[in-house]
Amino acid sequence: MPDLGKLCLLVALILAVYSIFANVYGARRGRGDFILSGRHALWAMCAMVTIAVIALWNGLLRSDFTLEYVASYSSTTLPTVYKFTSLWGGQQGSLLFWTWLLSIFTSIAAFQNRRRNPDTAPYALAVMAGVAIFFLFMLNFITRPFDLISPVPIEGSDLNPLLQNYWMAIHPPSLYTGYVSSTIPFAFGAAALITAKLDDSWIRSTRRWAIFSWFFLTLGNMFGARWAYEVLGWGGYWAWDPVENAAFMPWLVMTAYLHSVMIQERKDMLKVWNLALIGLAFSLTLFGTFITRSGVISSVHSFTQSGLGPYFLAFLIAIVTCYTALLIWRSPDLRSPAEFESYLSREAAFLFNNLVLVGIAFAVFWGTIFPVLSEWVRGVKITVGPPFFNRVNGPLALALIFLMGVGPLIAWRRTTADRLLRSFAAPVILGVSAGLVAILSGIHEWYAATGFSLAAFVLGTIIVEFRRGVSARRHMVSEPPARALVNLVAKNNRRYGGYIIHIGVLAAFVGIIGSSFFKVEVKKSVAIGESFTIGSFSLKYLGLDQHENAHLEQATARLAMMHDGREVTVINPAKLFYKRQQQPATAVAIRSTPFADLYVVLAGLDDNGNRATFEVFLTPLVFWLWAGGLLMAMGTVVVMWPNVRERAAIAVAIGRSRAEEYAGEAASGGGR
Amino acid sequence: MDRGLSKLGRRIKPRFLIGSGLIVVAIAYLIISSIRSTSEYYLTVPEVSARATELRGQSLRIAGRVKPGTIAWDPSTLTLRFAIYPIPPAANSTAANDSIKPVAVDEAPSFSIVSQGEPKPDMFAPNRDVIVEGKLEPDGTIAATQVMTSCPSKYRPAGAK
Repeated sequence: MPDLGKLCLLVALILAVYSIFANVYGARRGRGDFILSGRHALWAMCAMVTIAVIALWNGLLRSDFTLEYVASYSSTTLPTVYKFTSLWGGQQGSLLFWTWLLSIFTSIAAFQNRRRNPDTAPYALAVMAGVAIFFLFMLNFITRPFDLISPVPIEGSDLNPLLQNYWMAIHPPSLYTGYVSSTIPFAFGAAALITAKLDDSWIRSTRRWAIFSWFFLTLGNMFGARWAYEVLGWGGYWAWDPVENAAFMPWLVMTAYLHSVMIQERKDMLKVWNLALIGLAFSLTLFGTFITRSGVISSVHSFTQSGLGPYFLAFLIAIVTCYTALLIWRSPDLRSPAEFESYLSREAAFLFNNLVLVGIAFAVFWGTIFPVLSEWVRGVKITVGPPFFNRVNGPLALALIFLMGVGPLIAWRRTTADRLLRSFAAPVILGVSAGLVAILSGIHEWYAATGFSLAAFVLGTIIVEFRRGVSARRHMVSEPPARALVNLVAKNNRRYGGYIIHIGVLAAFVGIIGSSFFKVEVKKSVAIGESFTIGSFSLKYLGLDQHENAHLEQATARLAMMHDGREVTVINPAKLFYKRQQQPATAVAIRSTPFADLYVVLAGLDDNGNRATFEVFLTPLVFWLWAGGLLMAMGTVVVMWPNVRERAAIAVAIGRSRAEEYAGEAASGGGR
Repeated sequence: MDRGLSKLGRRIKPRFLIGSGLIVVAIAYLIISSIRSTSEYYLTVPEVSARATELRGQSLRIAGRVKPGTIAWDPSTLTLRFAIYPIPPAANSTAANDSIKPVAVDEAPSFSIVSQGEPKPDMFAPNRDVIVEGKLEPDGTIAATQVMTSCPSKYRPAGAK
């Protein structure tokens, strides 16, 4: 099986190289047979990588310790589920997993475009094959998943305990899916530049891929935050660590991209900007891999260094250079006929939202690489921690939320003062009163009060939008309100799905404000029978249960949780000790309500468990962060839902671009 | 097509450039001013001992290794005292683990750390690599606000790729 895996990876590499040649040659010479064979090569490559993945899974599930990878990241006592997820528990496996996803997505894109985009698709597929070549090269020659180990160990050294968690089972695949699927819009953008077919057909053909990528980036970040919250036991969910930033930056840029392409679709503007954004989003996925793998930037949770850094850096530089050169080369053809007319227009709001999103991404980037830069330039390593990111991104987040409320309510091109007043009167009143309520109820931090007020304002604008739509429907086709609402969303899923996502962002924003400004922390060491208080809760240490199996030891504290003098429940924070890796871990007890989370960590045991140290956090509103994530995901599903009208629009657009092409060819009289 | 018409394709009106420019300047200002006010030195033990007088009273992050035999933990007051010594150069590689012999620990420069009001980190043990955040006090000890243990070699970061 290992030999088979190895062989398959080599064949996959050859197929990818062949596919580039066949696609490009076929497209240049107009040889349909080569294009066809290039496509088939990609499908065969996907099959080869799939077999390699199955081979590695087989090794993991059978605990085949002749494989170095299995010996390093698995063990006989590891629960089966985690043997399965060990595929992405280590470096070689996660690269293989990445390559697998890439080959699957490439195959799907090849299938979707077997008739569509005949001019650009071969080049786009060649770009995807090029990316695949890089990863396959790494897997074949640099970091091989099927390397053998000798002497063969009797037992593996197990998966890191922190990764033995169900969030870890779903967080990396989500993030990788988000990362990898950004390759497809990128490849089509590059193909548009190569072939000079610079209308918005590349955007339309890959719109669903871009949203798909955004969906999984959102989930990946949310799952990662949730994992940090539940597993790491420090009461927070986001620490602005380089590893987290690496996942956050592509999300920001992809968000900007999804908004600015709307301007191109509507107004035929910002063509260069859109192509630049998708290039940036894709580059940032590689950059993220580079910084987490190279050890260039020290992160609290990535002390691992590996030799992969230079390869990723070289690939990243090659991609950025080629793509920038293409953009510059084509820039004379990318000027747009339309122009911005008024600050009070939706495209202006979108433009500013883009600047702010990219600004946040740049700030995050700058803060992440600052230690490296300062070391190069001044010879001293200077770090910037969470205070930097919070100070910069706090005000920018407010601006972004504000624009999120304004954008959808103002019209394209320009808006009159009268219309503005009608649209915004109710939301402004709602926002101002929410701000007043916040201040009167004793919230003195200006940021929090402003944030709550803005969130209420934006929620108001979204409600106004839904009300408008519903009443318009009810005028046209007398429907009961609930029915009208459902039909409204179903018929205009892109628009109203977008609003649902916005509501999710608001909820998450409120959760972030609540947890950043109003978190209370108590650290206390108590003997059995003693109790202590946090906020209106009181906790009494009842005792300790200990048990042990072949895989781990566990010490579970029993704490009676009292609220306003009444016992609510007994909670059980625990400390685990994983035997193979000789590593402790914590199991946090979380009691969550929409008002606040009570988060209890068993931080230490002394005196045989007669004394225990607890670290307790009372975090208001953090529930809404997770609820917001869920809403964002649901809204994205609504947006992605197949829509008959949109299909028709795509068909028309493709038809139109073909017609233009014929007209163009006729006019230029033969061309090059 | 109309390549000759407008050389640069500046179709965005000047006032939009001004608006966009203002946003860019505001973001740049935010970044620069925040970097100034929030940056901390990230140093190793020898670096701190070489520049001890100049760093007195400053916020620091120091990477070091926990010196065996110096750990004192009082759970009732949550006070942790220990000393750190330089991480041997070879230990930076992936092979780093707990089995590295403390070579000439006694001669190497070391700093006493006092951490108060924080639980003892899970993986805290002699010869573990730690990052200490805190202030260098006049008496040469470091009052830690945070002690982070770095993970043993097998650890893969959260967003591992």
